[in-house]
Amino acid sequence: MTAPLLIAEGLRKTYPRPRRRLLRAEPPLVALEDASFAIAPGETLGIVGESGSGKTTLARLVMGFERPDAGCVRLDGQDIHALPPRALQRLRPRFQMIFQDPYGSLDPRRQVGWSIAEPLRAAGITGRTSLRDRVAEALEQVGLSAADAARYPHEFSGGQRQRIAIARAVVTRPALLVADEAVSALDVSVRAQILNLLMDLQEAMGLGLLFIGHDMAVIAALCDSILVMQEGRVVEAGPTARLITAPAHPYTRALMDAARGETLTRGAAP
Amino acid sequence: MRHRASLILGAVLVGLMAAAGLVSLAWTPWPLAEIDVLNKLAAPSAAHPLGTDGLGRDLLSRLMAGAANSLSVAAGAVLLGGGIGTGLGLLASAWGGRVEEALMRLCDLSFAFPALLFAIMLAAAFGPSLLNTGLAIAFINVPIFARVARGAANQVWVRDFVLAGRAAGRGRAAISRDHIVPNIAAPLIVQATIEIATAILAEAALSYLGLGAQPPAASWGRMLAEAQTLLWVAPMQAVWPGLCITAAVLGFGLLGDGLRDWADPRLVRRQA
Amino acid sequence: MIRVEGLSAALPQGQALRDVSLSVARGERLGLVGESGSGKSMLGLALMGMVPDAAQLSGRIALDGQDMTGATEAAWQPLRARKVAMIFQEPMTALDPLVRIGETVMEPLILHLKMRRRDARARALDLLAETGLTEPEAKMRQYPHQLSGGQRQRVLIALALACDPGVLIADEPTTALDAQIALRITDLLVRLSRDRGMALIFISHDLAAVARATERLAVMYGGDLVETGATAEVLANPRHPYTQGLIAARPRPDPAMIRKRLPVIPGTVPTLGDLPRGCRFAGRCAAELPRCAGTRPAPWPTASGQAACHLLEPAP
Repeated sequence: MTAPLLIAEGLRKTYPRPRRRLLRAEPPLVALEDASFAIAPGETLGIVGESGSGKTTLARLVMGFERPDAGCVRLDGQDIHALPPRALQRLRPRFQMIFQDPYGSLDPRRQVGWSIAEPLRAAGITGRTSLRDRVAEALEQVGLSAADAARYPHEFSGGQRQRIAIARAVVTRPALLVADEAVSALDVSVRAQILNLLMDLQEAMGLGLLFIGHDMAVIAALCDSILVMQEGRVVEAGPTARLITAPAHPYTRALMDAARGETLTRGAAP
Repeated sequence: MRHRASLILGAVLVGLMAAAGLVSLAWTPWPLAEIDVLNKLAAPSAAHPLGTDGLGRDLLSRLMAGAANSLSVAAGAVLLGGGIGTGLGLLASAWGGRVEEALMRLCDLSFAFPALLFAIMLAAAFGPSLLNTGLAIAFINVPIFARVARGAANQVWVRDFVLAGRAAGRGRAAISRDHIVPNIAAPLIVQATIEIATAILAEAALSYLGLGAQPPAASWGRMLAEAQTLLWVAPMQAVWPGLCITAAVLGFGLLGDGLRDWADPRLVRRQA
Repeated sequence: MIRVEGLSAALPQGQALRDVSLSVARGERLGLVGESGSGKSMLGLALMGMVPDAAQLSGRIALDGQDMTGATEAAWQPLRARKVAMIFQEPMTALDPLVRIGETVMEPLILHLKMRRRDARARALDLLAETGLTEPEAKMRQYPHQLSGGQRQRVLIALALACDPGVLIADEPTTALDAQIALRITDLLVRLSRDRGMALIFISHDLAAVARATERLAVMYGGDLVETGATAEVLANPRHPYTQGLIAARPRPDPAMIRKRLPVIPGTVPTLGDLPRGCRFAGRCAAELPRCAGTRPAPWPTASGQAACHLLEPAP
C-alpha cells in the first residue's frame, strides 16, 4: 500500500444560525461531525449523501475554501489549513476541483482557453506558447480540440462544458481531483461519457479522486470505496463491493433501493 | 421592443446635448460674455435664434455652454464617485467579514447625511464653485455605487467559476479584476447612466442656489435663477434652460432604462 | 382517459413534438422518459392545455372523450384540476409563501366545487391525511416555509387531488427530493392512483424512478415517441437503439460493474434547431442505416407496444 495522498481526520464544521430572539443565541448548525478518510494515489473514494448531509461542506474543507472547527486535511503529509496563504497557493496545482453545474463553473465572459489556463497562470506559468500548448493538450485529453480554446462557454453543450471544466482541473497535472456532483446535471447518455472520461484520465495520470454525489448507482460504478453520509455524519463506510451487496445501515439500503428501481420491477411486480 | 424605443430616444437626447456642449467649447453663435444692453431680452430673430437674456447675451450660446458645464460636471462627478464607490464595494465583497461590515455601515451613515447640506458646507468652507459642486455630487455617489457594486459582486463571488478561480490558486485581487469586474459591469453602467440624470438635477439645483457655477459662467441652473426675477416679463428666459434640464435628465433616464432592459435578458440568456 | 393523436408542437427554434400518438386508460400508470429536449415536459403541458404561446400545436387531444383539439384557454380552464391535474418538480416555489397550507388546499374546493368553508376544511384535512402528511391538523395552520420538501410535495399532491381528477400528471415530482423521500412520494403516487382509479402520467429523466412508479413506459427523444410498451418489458428487452443505449448507459450498483467503462451513446443531445429530418436519433445511432437520417421510421409493433425504428421493419 502506497502512502495516502490525502488524509482527512476528525473533520468538524459548524455554521452559526441567525438569532430568533434578541438575547438568546441559537445553537450552531453542525454541518459535519467527525469525518475521517484517506485516499491513495490513483484511488477513488465516493462520498454519497443528500442535501444537508454535509458532503458539500466536506468538499469545501478539502479544497481549503473553508476552515474546519476541528480536525485536519493533509495533502502529501501537509496540513493544508495550517499552511500560510502563499504556501497553499503553491500547493494548489496538486489538487483541483470539478463542480456540479457546467453552466455556472465557467466564466461566461471568458474564452474557454482563458479559463483552462487560469490554474497555470496562478501557478506562475505565463509564457504565451507554453500556456497555449498546455491548454491544447488538456483540451485533447478531454476529447475536445485545440481550436475550441478560442470559443465561449455558451457555444458548448452541457456535456462539453463539463469536459472543459475537467480540462481546467487537469491542466496542472494534479494528484487529486475533487468532484462535487460532477455528473448530476448531465443527461444520462452524456453522463456515461463523462464517467468514462474520468476513469480514463485517472488511469492515464494516476489521479486520486474524491467523487461526491447523491446517486448510489453512479458512485458505485466509479468508486473503489464509499463513505455514506447523513446529516453531517458518516453512517457507513467500506469497499464498494461490500457496501452494495450487503449494506448494513438502513440509509444505505434506501439509497440502494432508489438506485435499483429498474431491477425491482424486473424482479417482482410491485 | 419597448426598450429599444427608450434606448434610441435616450441616446438621441443625450447625443444632442453632448454635441451642443462639445461644439460650444470651440464655437458659439455669439461670444458668451458679450453684453449688449441695448438689445436685452430680444425676441428670437435671425441673429439670435432664441433671443437674448437680461444682459443682452445670446441665449442659444449660453444654453450650449451650459450643456458643456452641466454634463461634464455631472458625468465627471458620477465617474469619480462611482469609481471610488465601486472600488470600495469590490473591496468589501472580496474581503467580507469585518471589512465589509465596516464599509457598509459607513455607507449607511453617509446615506443619512443630506447631500445638499454637505454641498453647502463645502461651499462655505472652500467657496462656491463648479468644482466643489462636482465634488459634493461625487461624494454622494460613493456610497450608492459601493452598495450596488458590493451587492452585484456578492452574487458573482458565490458562482462556481469564482470558486474554480480560487481552486486554481488565484488571489482575491486577481479574481476581482478578472471575474468580478467584467460580470458586474452591466449593472454598474446602467446605474451610472441613471445617476448622471440625478447629478444633472443636483448640479442645476446647487447652481440655482448660487453654490455652483459663478457668473459669468453659464449653467442651466444659474440661468434659471437669473430668469426667475424676470419670470413675468420674459417667461421664455426660464423655459429654455428648464427644457434643457428636462431633456437631459429624461435622456439619461431613458438611456439607463433602455440599457438595463437590454442588458438583463442578454445576461439571462447567456447563463441559461 | 387521454387520447393524443398525431400531436406536434412547433417552437420558433424547432419542432418540440413530432406526430406523437398516445393513450392512457383510466387508472393506468404511464411513465414518460426522456433526456433534456426530448419533448416530455412539452407533452405534459399540452395535456393540460398549457403550452407556451410561442408553440404552434397541431394534431388531436381528447380528454375523457371530450375533444380538446384547438380548445381555448377558457375551454381548458374548467377541466384543469377537475379532469386533469399536475404537480411539478419544485415543491419550493409552487406554494404561495404567504398563504397557510389549509387555505391553499381549501381554495379549489371552495372555488371549483362551491363547497362551504366548513365542508372544505374537513375535506382538505382528509386530503392531507390521504397523502400521508403527519399531523395534518397542525400543518393546516402552518406556512409553506415551515414544511420540508417532501411535506410540501405532499401538500401539492393533496392540492392536485382536491377536485378528484381523472388524470394526474407528475413532472419530475421526485427529482428535487432526497432518495428516501423520493421513494415514499413515488409509492404514494402509485397508491393514490390504485385507490382512486386515477390515471398517472409520471414524467422523469430517471429510469429507476419511472420503473418503480409505472406499468407502461413511453420513451421520447428529440420530440418523437420512439418506443412504448410494458415498463418491465421495455426495460428488460428494449427494441429501439436509443432505449437500448439509454438503459445500457445507466450505471447500476452491481459488484461486477465497479470501475468498468459504461457503454455510451456517442455525441450529444441535439438542440431543437438541428434535429435530423428522419429518425431523430440518426447521427448518434450505432445501428444506423443509410436511410435513417432522411426518412422517418414508422412505429412497428413490439412484444407489448411499438418502437419507431427502420431496423424493426418486417421483411417483405
